[in-house]
Parts: sequence; C-alpha cells; structure tokens
Amino acid sequence: MTFSLNMTFSDLLLLLPEIFLTCWLCVVLIVDFSLPRLPKERLAYLSVAGLVATLGCLGWFDVNHISGTLFGNMFVLDRMAIFFKVIILGSTILVILASIEYVNRFTLFRGEYYCLVVMAALGMMFMASANDLLSVFVSLEFATLGFYVLVSYLRDDLASNEGGLKFFILGVFAAGLLAYGISLVYGETGKLVFSDMTSAQATPGLIIGFLLIFASLGFKIGAVPFHAWIPDTYHGAPTPVTTFLSIAPKAAAFAILLRIFLVALVTFKPLWVSFLVAVSILSMTYANIVAIAQRNIKRLLAYSGIAQVGNVLIGLAAGTKMGSDAILFYILAYLFANIGAFAVVIAVSQAIGRDEIEDYRGLNRRSPFLAFAMLLFLLSLAGVPPLAGFIGKLYIFVAAIKEGLYTLIAVGLINIVISMYYYLIVVKQMYINEPMDPSPIGVSGPMKAVIYVGLAGTLVIGIYPQPFTDWVVSATLMFSNLIGPSATMIPPSLPLGG
Amino acid sequence: MGEYALLYILFAPFAGALALIFVSNRQPLLVRSIAVSAAGVSLLASLYLFYAYDPVKGGFQFVQKVEWSRQLGISLHLGVDGIGTPLVLASAILLFAGIFVSWHIKDRTKEFYIWLLILAAATIGVFMSLDLFFLYFFYEMSVIPMYLLLGMWGSHTKKYLEMTDPEGLKRRDSVGFILNFGSNSKEYAAMKLVLFLSAFAVVALMGILLIYKYAGLNTFDILVLREQANLMNIPVLGTTLDKIIWVLVFFGFASIAPLWPLHSWSPVGHAAAPAATSMLHAGVLMKLGHFSIMRVAFEILPETTRELMPIAAVLCMFSIIYGGFVAFYAKDTKYVIGYSSSSHMGYVFLGMAALNYISLSGAVIYMFAHAMATGMLFAMAGWVYDQTHSRDIPSLGGLSNKMPFISACFVVACMASIGMPGTVNFIAEIMIIIGSWNKYPLQVIVAMLGIVLTLAYLFKMMRGLFYGPMSQKYSHAHDAISTVDRLPLLVMISISIGFGIFPMHLYDVVRSGVDPLVARITRVVPVAETGEGVEMRRSQATTPENSSAPLASHKSISYTPQVSREGRE
Repeated sequence: MTFSLNMTFSDLLLLLPEIFLTCWLCVVLIVDFSLPRLPKERLAYLSVAGLVATLGCLGWFDVNHISGTLFGNMFVLDRMAIFFKVIILGSTILVILASIEYVNRFTLFRGEYYCLVVMAALGMMFMASANDLLSVFVSLEFATLGFYVLVSYLRDDLASNEGGLKFFILGVFAAGLLAYGISLVYGETGKLVFSDMTSAQATPGLIIGFLLIFASLGFKIGAVPFHAWIPDTYHGAPTPVTTFLSIAPKAAAFAILLRIFLVALVTFKPLWVSFLVAVSILSMTYANIVAIAQRNIKRLLAYSGIAQVGNVLIGLAAGTKMGSDAILFYILAYLFANIGAFAVVIAVSQAIGRDEIEDYRGLNRRSPFLAFAMLLFLLSLAGVPPLAGFIGKLYIFVAAIKEGLYTLIAVGLINIVISMYYYLIVVKQMYINEPMDPSPIGVSGPMKAVIYVGLAGTLVIGIYPQPFTDWVVSATLMFSNLIGPSATMIPPSLPLGG
Repeated sequence: MGEYALLYILFAPFAGALALIFVSNRQPLLVRSIAVSAAGVSLLASLYLFYAYDPVKGGFQFVQKVEWSRQLGISLHLGVDGIGTPLVLASAILLFAGIFVSWHIKDRTKEFYIWLLILAAATIGVFMSLDLFFLYFFYEMSVIPMYLLLGMWGSHTKKYLEMTDPEGLKRRDSVGFILNFGSNSKEYAAMKLVLFLSAFAVVALMGILLIYKYAGLNTFDILVLREQANLMNIPVLGTTLDKIIWVLVFFGFASIAPLWPLHSWSPVGHAAAPAATSMLHAGVLMKLGHFSIMRVAFEILPETTRELMPIAAVLCMFSIIYGGFVAFYAKDTKYVIGYSSSSHMGYVFLGMAALNYISLSGAVIYMFAHAMATGMLFAMAGWVYDQTHSRDIPSLGGLSNKMPFISACFVVACMASIGMPGTVNFIAEIMIIIGSWNKYPLQVIVAMLGIVLTLAYLFKMMRGLFYGPMSQKYSHAHDAISTVDRLPLLVMISISIGFGIFPMHLYDVVRSGVDPLVARITRVVPVAETGEGVEMRRSQATTPENSSAPLASHKSISYTPQVSREGRE
C-alpha cells in the first residue's frame, strides 16, 4: 500500500471538525493559564461553545451528504461516522454541563479537567472514523489516555485512585492485546484497511488476531469476559467522568466493531455469529444478576451498562443492515437515558455527598423533579413503553428475529424482567420509602438543562421515533447490501465542490 | 368530530396527566377537577362511541391509522369492534368512578391522579389497538403505574402489620413472603405484580415476534396479519409453529386474566392496592388478558384456537373452584373480592373455550358486567377501610347502623356479582352456561357450583361487615353522604341494572363483534369480508344451532386459509 500525502484543501475539509476542535482545545488551555482569575465555569461554557460549533459543522456535513476517505483509506468520513461523532459530541457537551458543579470538589487542575474531557472526545471522534487497524490503535489509545487521568482526578480519594489504577493496568493490557492482534492480522493478510480484508482466508492466525482485537474492544465496551474493571472504575471515578465513560467510549468502540464485523469480517459471518451470541448472553445474564446485589447506585448503573451492551451485541450478532440500524438507534436511546440517570446521581450526591441506593429514600418528597426524572430514565433503561429504551430493545429484537436468533431473543426477553427488578428497587427507595431527612434538594441550572435534555430525548424518541429511525437508517446505508464484499467498499471519490 | 371519538377517549386521560404535571399539590381542588374533566371527556366520548357503534354494519369502526415507524412496519392503528366497544366503555366508567372514589386521598394527590389516568388510558389503548405492537405497547405501559399506585398509596395486610415489631422490619421483610400466606407488604405485592406481569408479557412478546417473523409481511397490523399470514403447518421442534405461537400468546396474556395457576399475583395485588386501583385492576386490567387472547390468538390463529382452546376449558374449572374456596376462607375483604374476581374470570374462559356464538358473547358481556360489579365491591371495601382502617372481616360488624347507604349498595353489588336476574351479570352468566352446556357439561356443573360458592362467600362477607354486633371502636365511622362519595356507586349500580333490564343494544354490539370471530374459528357460517372489517348478515349469524356439529369435524381443521381466500374471490 502506498501512502500519498497529496492533500488538497477539500481533503482537509473532511477533517475540519477535528482540526477545529484541536484548535479550540488549545484556545481553552491558553485562556485557562493566561487568565488565572477567570471562574472555571467560564471555561466549561467556552468548551461547550467549541463543541457546539463542531456539532454544527457535522450537521452541515450530514445535510449536504459530504463524505470521503483520507490518508489511503485510514480515515473515513461517512454518515455512520458522522452519527457516532454527533453522539460523542452530544454526550461530551452534556457531561461538561453536568460537571460544572462537581468540578469544585477537585483540589487542583480544575481548568485542565475540561481540556482533558475535550481531548478524550477528540480521540473518540477519530475512533468513529477509523477505517484501518492502525488508526484504530492510535485513536483508541489517544482517547483512553485522557480517561486514565480523568478517572483518578479525585487525588485524595482512595477509591478514585484505585479505580484509576485498575483502569490503567487493564487498559494497557488491552492495548497490548490489540497491538498483538493487529500484528497477527497484518501478518496473515498483509492488509490493514478493513475493506481490503474481505477476501482473506480464515486461517487460525487470522481468527486469533481478530479474537484479540475483539477482546480489546470488548474491554472498551465492557462485554462480559472483559468487564472486570468496570464496576470499580465506575464507582471510584468522579461521577461526571463515569457518565462520560459509560456512553462515549462505548459508542466509539461500537463504530469500530460495526466496521470490523460488517465490513472486514462480513464473509466470516457464520463463524462469528455464535461467538457474539455467547458474549451477548453472558453479558446480559451475568450483569443483570450481579446488579441485583448492588448497594451503590454507580455500581448498579455500571452493571446495568454491561447488560445494555449485551443487548446491543444482539444487534451486532444479527449482522444485517437492520441490525446495525438497531444498534445505532439503541445507542441513541441509551445516551439520553444513561446521561440523565447519571446527572440525577450527580445532583443527589451534590446535596447528600453519598451514592448509596439507600440515600435515595424518599427522593420523591425531597425533590419530585429529580425523582420523576430518575424514574423515567431507569424505566427507559429497563425498556418500558412509551420510553426510548423500549423502542430500542424492540428494534434490536426485530432485527435479530429476522435472522432467527431465537435463543438470544428469549434470553434477552428474560433479562428485561430481571433488570426490571433492580431498577424498581431504586424506584421503591425514591417513591415508596419515606425520607430520613426531608430537607428539599436543589438542582443547579446547568444540571437542570442536562436532565431536561435527557427527558426530552427519552420521551420524544419513545413516542415519535420515525425521524430518528430515518436518521439511523440513512447513517448505515453503507451496509445496505451485505451480501457481496464489493458492496461494502466506500467510494473513494469526493463529492465535494461540485 | 364523531370519527375521532377513539382519539378523545384515549388521549383525554393522557392530556389530563400531562396537565397535572404543571399543577401544584397545594391546589387539591384544581388537581381533582382536572382529573375529573379528563375522565369525563373520556367517558362522554366512550358513551357516544357505544351508542354510535353500528352493530348492523359490524366490523371495526372509528378506525384511525397513522404511520408510526416505516422500518418496523408499525402504525398507530386504532379501531373498535363489538368486543372492544363495551370494554372501552367499562374502562371509562371505572376511571370516572375511580377518581371520585379516591377523592379523599390527601397524600400526593396530584401524583395519584397522574398515575391513575395513565393506567386507565393504557388499558383503553389495548382495547382499541389494531396493531400488535401498540397492543403490547399499551399492555406493558399499564404495568408500571400499578407498581407506583400500589407502593405509594397502598396498604399492608393485617397479618403483615401484626408481624411488625418496632425494630424488626428487615427480618420480616426477608422471611415473611412465602411462608406466611396473606402476610405481605405492599412493596412485595407491587413488585410481585410487576415482575409476574412483565415475565408473562415477554412470553407473549416472543409469540408476537414469531408471528411477525413467520408472516414475513413486515407489519404488525392485526388486520393484515389475519388475512394474509400463513403460519400453519410449519414443523418446529416436533410440533408445529402455530401451536408454539398460540401457547406463547395464550399463556402470556392469560397470566393477567388471571387463569389458574398463574393467578397468585392478583389477589395479593388487590389486597395492597388503594380502592380506585383495585377497581381498575379487577374491572378492566384483568380483561386485558381475555381481550388480547381474542385479538391475537383468535384473530390470527383461528384454526389453532379451535384445536387448543380445550386447555382453557380444563384450567378454568380450577380457576372457578380454587378461587371460590379461597375467597370463602379468606378473612380480608379485599382478598375475598380479589379471589372472587379471579374465580369469576374462569367463567369468561369457559365462555371462550366453548367457542360458539352464545357462549362467547356471554363471555364478553360478562367482562363488562363483572367490571361494574367488582368495581362497586372494591369501591365499598375501600370506603369501609377508610372509615375503620380495617379489612379484617371477623373484627368488623354491624356497620349498617353507621353506613346505611353503603350497606344498601353493598347488597346490590353482591346481588350483581352473584348474577341475580335484573342485573347484567345474570344475562352474561346464563349465556355462558347455556352456550357451553353442549360442549362442556362438566365445566358448566362446576360453574354452577361456583355460583353457589359466590353466594356463600359474598353473603358471609356481607354479614361480617354490615350486620351483627358493632364494635365500639368503629363508632366514629360514617356513611357516604356527599354527592361526590355517592356518585360513583350510583353510576355503577345504574349501569349494572340498566343493562340488566335493557340489554338489547349491548347484546347487539357484542354479537356484531363475536359473530365474525366465531365464524372464522369454527368455519361454520360463510363470511363475506370487505376491506377493513368483517361484515355479516345478522340473520345468518343468529342461527348457531343449525351449524354446530357436522362441519366442525376434523375435516374442516385441515382447511387452509388460502382455500378460503380463493373461495371468497
């Protein structure tokens, strides 16, 4: 393969969101140390402004169907990449708004916090566009680097340090696996770009290589045999970081997984379906059963997140265009419900200082708004109509039943019931039990905004999903005929500038 | 305006719930008036619907169809036939009555009405859904409000409170559930209800997904599926696919009905629920089960229904007898009424199992009649509980001195529940019994026994509550004096007796829905089908006797839908 670096201005346009965000990141850093007296929340709003501008740029790309590839197919900007970038940027904006109050808990480096969040977002945007194994490795490590720091940001808190260390050690281990897997795959096929690999033979080396790559990505999304770091890290990390960790890296990793399984490995579908079915069943069942025993809301949501990933993997196991639509839709629904639920956790812990489920006793009397919001978010995660999570689950099941994955659907349906139990335990604490301390809980302005966005997303997607299904269907048009390998090729021509 | 009646009925409670979110709890009168007006709009529209429904034309009327998701093949397809219409009316009446019954709730009034309105709207939604997805959507949506209504405004049972020691709350919470019958907390009841119903709902969902997949039409629309889906004779796991789907759908929905042995969540839930919730729960929520079985299993799998419905005929005997005996021995008023409800739901299953015009119409009318009767009983049990803070029959007594109005109404409600001539229950019961006699004589004898049992336990409860010596500690109890308190009872009594004396319109409406369904299943009367609904000459339909035996033999079971479709053309 030859790398040509003859870049034109229109090529660079494809990178505009990333370039702009990088510049903005520098601006935020410079503002931070050149104006030391500036209140740190101004920095938050400054970062949000940059992110919103980037989002607008991506929206413009999406409307005008701008797409193309760069650097010899290493970087691809298609509608799916745009979808995932929007998800990542949206979650970043919400996370920054939700952390404004929380940042006061940090003893040092309050300004750098926002830079690190935006940097991680930048890395994940590259992940969403990664189209070959090398860019997967580079962008994955770039994104994770920021998280290593963010997780252990509470310097004096043992749990935070423990979570950070666990995350770091296992993360580095996963990076090693990824590098080894990439080298095996490259050794077997001589190819790095996903769309070139479709004609490869299923040799043992290739299979092991992809298993290692999947293990490393499974670590990112927290699928069951690779989930061990999740509960402790989610528990110890500052809650806004947990929020971020629970949605954005998962979305970005699913973008890569979709490209690997539906582009590079599409010819091996019979081989990987049963493997994904097993991982999905394990994730859902294990996480839902263990979540019942949790006493801490962050750990509960951590296990619930693992179970949700199991649900998303049902769509991946279906391995069709509709399966990929369902994955995108599910991630969209999960974004609003999960960020909303964590925002309530942050608001409550801001007032009470603890995150135990017991602390939610009588939340309905202390803050009806928070309790109602949490109720809807948890029910959306559980998959109760008319909320977004229900449509997401149904979409996934319909996609899977068309492929005849009956066992998987049966397990998924049973898991809905199991998960209902632990979500309702929290609801019981909030609504049925009387509070120990009936003093009302206030909610700050930005936090309210985040919760309102979550509520709006959860309800609107649940009640009128048509525009959102249209969006995800158009975002995955590249998978529309998953029969032949040629169908997955991305046209190299640039429809730019007429 | 008329053709949008279904939208008014369905969305008025939702709109009311939405409006209530923005009202403060400090204005209880405003809260109540919003709830009443939402329920009132719904009731007026459903009365209009009931009388505007044209039984001669039959089929699905007031149809509304809005595309909802192209990719999944879902549309918000609403419409009622002769089976749905009376049930929509019953839901609207019970919602309206329930709002007055819970007039005196002081704690979090606004939230109570929000969840009550959503619960009622969701059940109404099931009765008018012509799309499998929305049927399930509304069905599952009705479960969560139950959890909150039971948990927040419900009550523990007496035994549970007796087991309470000031500090030992936790010990009791973990032990008391299984070993001590009747000693459960409201939290336990609420959780059991939700998990039970959700668990069986997903069973039904599996059946629905299988229908969707094997029909291969990329649609959830019931009307399309029942015409075009060919699910017969696909061998799966040693049996055929249609049987598997039928069993999944039947037992998935039968749990809410509740059919023995899937009934155990129901009396526990009744005992914990506040009065208005019990009314809706027993009055209409249980009927979601029968209705959904008719709408999904009967409509889409008629051949299989004829083959497998004897399962219901066997289980319904246990429902009737078991429920009746437990009700006789229960000491808690709400347990008595709860078990009586689950016993009476056995009659509906009997009427459905016999599968002829008379018995199935009887079953549908019985659902309507039972909604009124059990609604009254729960409303009054709630009143007695509010006044005495006790539901324990042995410790109560002589309350007729203090509450003559309530006790008089209670006698009427008991009469209705037993099926005295003059109430609509009588008509329904007699139709079920007559209709089922030819096919299931043993079950009919059991049902007769069930009526005797009903008489026994209701009279026992009536005597225990209202007659005999009165304990001094209840001397502060008072009657329902104000209009607000009397209105719901008077409404339900007048409906029950009114339709008992003038049942013709109700009967016509129900027959117009039942006839094409039975004709589809038993294939004994030729059906002329056009477009949306099923039209049928009533002169043909009202002659079931001449058509029962010879054609329903095994030969006609192998009758495939294609043949009939060609025949129609």
